[in-house]
This record gives sequence, C-alpha cells and structure tokens, in this order.
Amino acid sequence: MIDFGIPLLIGYALLPSVFILLSYYLFQKTEFANYAYGLFALSFISKLSEPKRNDFLKSIFNKGKYKKLRISENILYSLPFTLFLIYQKQFVFSLILNLCVFVITLFNFSTDLNVTIPTPFSKKPFEFTIGFRKTFFVFPITYFLTYVSISVGNFNLGVFSMLLIGLTCFSYYPKMENEYFVWNYNLSPKEFLIEKTKTCLIYFTFLSLPIIMALSISFYREIDILIVFFLLCYAYLTSMIFAKYSSFPKEMNMSQGILIAISFMLPPVLLIFIPLFYSRSIKKLNALLND
Amino acid sequence: MIKIERLSKFYGKKQVLNSIDLEFKKGKIYGIVGENGAGKTTLFRCISGLESYKGNILSDFTELKDHLGLLLTEPYFFSKITGKEYIQLLANARQTEITKIENKNIFGLPLNQYASTYSTGMKKKLALTAILLQENNVFILDEPFNGVDIQSNLIITEIIKRFKKLEKTVIISSHIFSTLENTCDEIYLMKNGEIINKVEKADFKNLEKKMKEFTVGNKIDKLELK
Repeated sequence: MIDFGIPLLIGYALLPSVFILLSYYLFQKTEFANYAYGLFALSFISKLSEPKRNDFLKSIFNKGKYKKLRISENILYSLPFTLFLIYQKQFVFSLILNLCVFVITLFNFSTDLNVTIPTPFSKKPFEFTIGFRKTFFVFPITYFLTYVSISVGNFNLGVFSMLLIGLTCFSYYPKMENEYFVWNYNLSPKEFLIEKTKTCLIYFTFLSLPIIMALSISFYREIDILIVFFLLCYAYLTSMIFAKYSSFPKEMNMSQGILIAISFMLPPVLLIFIPLFYSRSIKKLNALLND
Repeated sequence: MIKIERLSKFYGKKQVLNSIDLEFKKGKIYGIVGENGAGKTTLFRCISGLESYKGNILSDFTELKDHLGLLLTEPYFFSKITGKEYIQLLANARQTEITKIENKNIFGLPLNQYASTYSTGMKKKLALTAILLQENNVFILDEPFNGVDIQSNLIITEIIKRFKKLEKTVIISSHIFSTLENTCDEIYLMKNGEIINKVEKADFKNLEKKMKEFTVGNKIDKLELK
C-alpha cells in the first residue's frame, strides 16, 4: 500500500486537508488570490486536454459519450476549486471558472502545436527551453501587471508579478528527466547540481529583470522588500531542483511535495530543507555520476 | 580497451546476465547478436553504468562513461525540444563545443522542428548525430539500423568504418546480419544472458548459416502453411 513515498490511505486522507490549507493560505496572503486560483485550476484541468489522451478516448467512445465523459471529468477536477471559491463568496469567479472548464471540453484545443516557438534559452536546454515554450504567454501578462502596478502605485501587485515568474519557473522542474540525460553529464553530483541551479537562477533573473528594474526605480523606498522576495524566489527554485534530484531516478514523491508545501507556508524551514534535499540528491546522483 | 570479467546481472531472482567475460580492443568493431531478451541491451546498460551489476568492468579511462557514446534502441526525447537543441543538450553535458550544427547535419534532419515529432528513423538518426558530435572514444550502438532508411543505413555503415580508422572502439547490436558482416571484426552470439559463441571475420559466413539452422530449423514446418 505504499505509493508516492507515504501510505496511500494516509495520502488520500491528507490530500483534501493540504488542498484546503494551501487555498486558505493563498486567499489570506494576496488580494489577487482568485485570479491565481483560477489559473491554478485551469492549468490543473488542462492536464486532461492532452491530444493523445483524447484521441484515444475518441477512438473508444462515440461523439456523445465522449463529450459527456470529458464534461464530467472536467467538472470533477474543477469541483474542489469551485467549492472553495463559493465558500470564499467568489461567485463570479466560480462561474467564470466553470464556463472555462466547459469551453475547454467543447473545443478541445491542442496545446501541442507543431510550430516551433522561439526561445531565448536554446543554448542551455532543457528545463527553461521547454518551460518557456509552454508558458510563454505568462511573461507578457506579468510585465503588463508590473506596468499597472507602477501606474496605480501598487507595489504589492509588482511583487506579485515577480513571484508569478518565480512560480512559473518553479513549475519547470518537478518532472524528472530520463536517467539517460543525467548519465550523459561528465560532472560530479555536486558540479551537476551547481550547474543546474546556476542555469536556473541566471534564467530566472533574466526573465524577472525587467520587473525588478522597473520596481526598483518606481518604488526605491521598498527595494529592501523587493530584494527579500527576489532572494526567496532563488531559495524556492534551489530547493525545487534539489528536491527533484533527491528522488532520482524516480519522480518526486508526495513526502517531498508536502515538505515543499510546508516551506511555502513557513519559509524559514528552507534553511533545513535545502541542505537536506541537497545531501539526498548527492547520494542519489552518485549512482550515475562520477565521484 | 574495455575488459569485462564475470559480469552478472539479476532483476530480482531472475538472472539476465550470467558471468560474462569479454574484451573490447581499441580500433575494433564488435557485433553482439542474439534473440530478443538474450541480454544484449542489459549488457550495454551495465557497460555504460546505467545498471548496477556483479563482476568487473575495467577500461583505459578513469571514467568510461565520460568517453562513451550510447545509442539506445529507442532514444528518449522531450516534448518541446528541437533537433538542434537535443544535439546542444548532449554536447553541453560533455562540455563539448559545437559550432555550426547545421553543417554537421549529415542525415538532413529538420533540426528546427521538435524532435518528438520526428519519425522513428529520424529520431534514431538525431540521437546518433548527437553522440557522434560528443567526440567519444567508445560507442555502443543498440540497433542503430532499426527503422532507418537505406541511404542512412549506408551512411551509418561508413561512419562505423571510419571509426575503425580513427582507433575508436565500437560495439553494435543488430538483427540485420549483413550490416554486421560489413563492419565488424568479431561477432559474439548471446543466448539467455551468456556469450555462447565468438566468431572471427573469416567465419562470418558460417555464423549466418549456423544461426539460420539454429534459429529457424524446422520451426516454420510447424505452421503447416498451405
């Protein structure tokens, strides 16, 4: 009964609690929580819109049954988010979310276009190269939000834009690559982790630099807060990379996910988690990389 | 040189490699043949260090894997990485500088397209190009001719021959006997995780005959085809 590193029953019991806790936390922390929550929900539901999966379903079911199935599974997936939005009295947002869920089902648009999206990260594939191609639309939005934050004099909105970039970059890392791609490196585990972290932090800085520059000039009195949040992004990205390789060659398990979730609620624990994940990663990578 | 001594591999209780002794010399091309499940891929994974094993694998290099180009039977690809970026990724891993990748695209691959959209043969050619540009000294090519068109087949055969001149060590597995006959210096026959026969170039013709007798025998008669 062991799955994802913790007993399955405990996992199932914990999952709703973790979901509610994180939702509460988000709504307490920012006034833009409903927007972020909607985006989270849609990105979660979009996992069901993979063309290969749906082509398979289409080959089994007739058109009517297929539509019913897709609508049902999308509604089921969005249900926890809808219920929490209703609980938060965000009725309009919950309605918009469900409309979006319905539209996703109706049009079943493919996210896997064959058009090669240009990326500034071609020189050092692969996390940012792939991630940027999947989330390129996020960056103009964050830059626009920064512009709005400066126009209306709302520093928090500017910081939120930077955090959104951090969170987007964070999402590039949980999926484990095939061991072949790690095996190819002629580096020691330590050098490998440093290389991965260095690339991540440089590219994150590159993406968030326009926001940092703009906010530093417009809100120069609050530059210390900006630096703190910027360094927090560095710490979370580093912890994510170390957490990922601490389960190598397997995917990250639930216990690592829970530790990361805890660190979001209590950032100082990163001081414990980062060295912990690092030492575990070194041990795991030792099996494939040079000493 | 790579020297394998008493190499054994178990998956749980199942033994897939049984006390294998082999020696691969510099500037020589070796073929490994055997039925599906004979243990060829597991042997390659052990040599490259992707699997743990019992026994010894010794080489002239401090770390064999840093000088080894490994072509997998079914190469892995990320969803939104172009052919060019795939080559770059593998070169970066070995800290090899590649200039003008387009000029080195001998198979004429659409390098600016996502590699995951390539056909099976194109994927194989891309993976092969990437390991060729890593400047390795040893190559393990697991089924390099599978799914590849005849033109590329000829190119791969010539590349392998060129490797011999360049004093590289190449180990190939293939089900296409003619390609091995054209390129290899020695061929090893594997069965049930053991090396059961070693054949020198002069005896390749006999090996094909023996394999045919051994593999086909009177099996087809059992079908009672009419």
